[in-house]
Amino acid sequence: MQDSDKFDCIIVGGGVAGLAAAYTLAKANLKILLVERGDWTGAKNVSGGVLWGPTAFDIFPALLNDFSSDCPYERVITHRRLSFMSETSATTFDFKTDNFYKKPYNGIAVLRSRFDKWLGQQVEEAIAESDFAEDSLVATGILVDRLLLEDNKVVGIGAGEDTFSSDCVIIAEGVNSLLTRAVGLQTGYVEAELVGTGIKEVWQFDQEMLEAKFQLEGDKGMSNEFVGCTQGVEGGAFLYTNKDTISLGMVLGLAALREHKKAPHDLLDAFKQHPAIRPILKHGKMVEYSAHVVPVGDIRLVPKKLYMSGAMVVGDAAGLLLNTGKAIEGMNMAMESGRQAAYTVIDAKKRQDYSESFLKSYQERLAETFVLKDMVRFQGAVKFIHNPAMFERYPLFVNTILERAFTVDGKPKKKMTEILPEIIREQNLSYWELLSTAVKGGLNL
Amino acid sequence: MSVSVKDRLITVKNNISKKAHIVVKTEICDTQCPHQCTTYVCPAKCFEIIEQKMRFQYEDCIECGTCLHACDQDAVSWSFPDSGHGVSFKLG
Repeated sequence: MQDSDKFDCIIVGGGVAGLAAAYTLAKANLKILLVERGDWTGAKNVSGGVLWGPTAFDIFPALLNDFSSDCPYERVITHRRLSFMSETSATTFDFKTDNFYKKPYNGIAVLRSRFDKWLGQQVEEAIAESDFAEDSLVATGILVDRLLLEDNKVVGIGAGEDTFSSDCVIIAEGVNSLLTRAVGLQTGYVEAELVGTGIKEVWQFDQEMLEAKFQLEGDKGMSNEFVGCTQGVEGGAFLYTNKDTISLGMVLGLAALREHKKAPHDLLDAFKQHPAIRPILKHGKMVEYSAHVVPVGDIRLVPKKLYMSGAMVVGDAAGLLLNTGKAIEGMNMAMESGRQAAYTVIDAKKRQDYSESFLKSYQERLAETFVLKDMVRFQGAVKFIHNPAMFERYPLFVNTILERAFTVDGKPKKKMTEILPEIIREQNLSYWELLSTAVKGGLNL
Repeated sequence: MSVSVKDRLITVKNNISKKAHIVVKTEICDTQCPHQCTTYVCPAKCFEIIEQKMRFQYEDCIECGTCLHACDQDAVSWSFPDSGHGVSFKLG
């Protein structure tokens, strides 16, 4: 291969991390190749999904446009609910504000096949405006099956019989990180304890009916997370409103599923039969099923080194996910890591230095952003939530208190000071346990 | 409202390759695995015990990666479908 065919950077994977990197590089006038194995960017991408925070708007300013049609995202999240479920009941914290309806939005509901396709178009436009309109490209339907190595330096990619060379590769291949593992940045086998399985059904409704069901105004939307609905398996459920569909699914700790001998699709079926969920689905049609492994926010999944000579790892491939117990952030972390890797490539090109010692600056940059700062800071939350009582006994406790407090049965009523000790005794809880959980929760969340 | 996995999979477009992208050494599942967890954790039900033997089919796979991480017995050789093959989500 001649040097004229060589790219400044090849990005493997057209998810939000790879697309953020590619866009940043194209805008900075670098010669790039983004390779995606799906038939379009987004074709194989799955999320819950709410994209939180300003990062996406910051990287792709066109997201700030007022869309009259063909809006790349589904709804603006202005309504948040957190529900604690028992087998028969649900207790919900409910928060609604138009303060989240200001650009850049606090959170947007997305369907990745549509959203990432739009991001891909943005990358193509940025390429068309660059000096490399004819040379840079987004290539879809191509599986990258290996990284090309020369003296422990990544010098390009291989896809079947084809090879492409570059000064640098950004690995944005997602959580099933075969290339990252093959070059030794990630361990060969990733423990089930560090990941979860997400499964999701998208249900379609008449749009007006959907808006009436969830009291949605205009393009505002609602996100609802649920705990206690997983039959004791570590994890939870989610319901996000899209334009005329809802995303309904679960994320379940994979080691916990294995240990409890539970099937994710069975747990989702049981959840759909819960009295708080069943009526929502009435008049709806299930239009798409999907599943994907997700990082669970444990820092042990993040490779010690996110770089090597000629390559950097971003997004889910780098295990980046933040679970604060209040929200789960993955896509914004992915996009920020993609942008920071791109900045590093831009500097590396100026210096003509793609060595390991220079690309180390990617990890240093990332450590200065919310991505690694928050992930490190909230490891306590990950451990706090990693408590079997969170998924069954505590949600049951909350629901029992309210059921008993709200019961009117024609008998003389008990005061809360009598109800609480009674339930604590019945459910084999202790004041010490509850107090220490409350304190730990306060400190870690 | 409860839907079988087969009915769920009908909603996903899948251009199935002739070549299996995942290969399972089922003799490991049959002889040394203490949990055979893939028979229940796989969201596409690609693993089944039939006549006391583990059977795997890749055709229903939706490329989620659950078996890649759930199998701790080194029985699953996992990769992505060949270029141009496998699932496409219209919503995702």
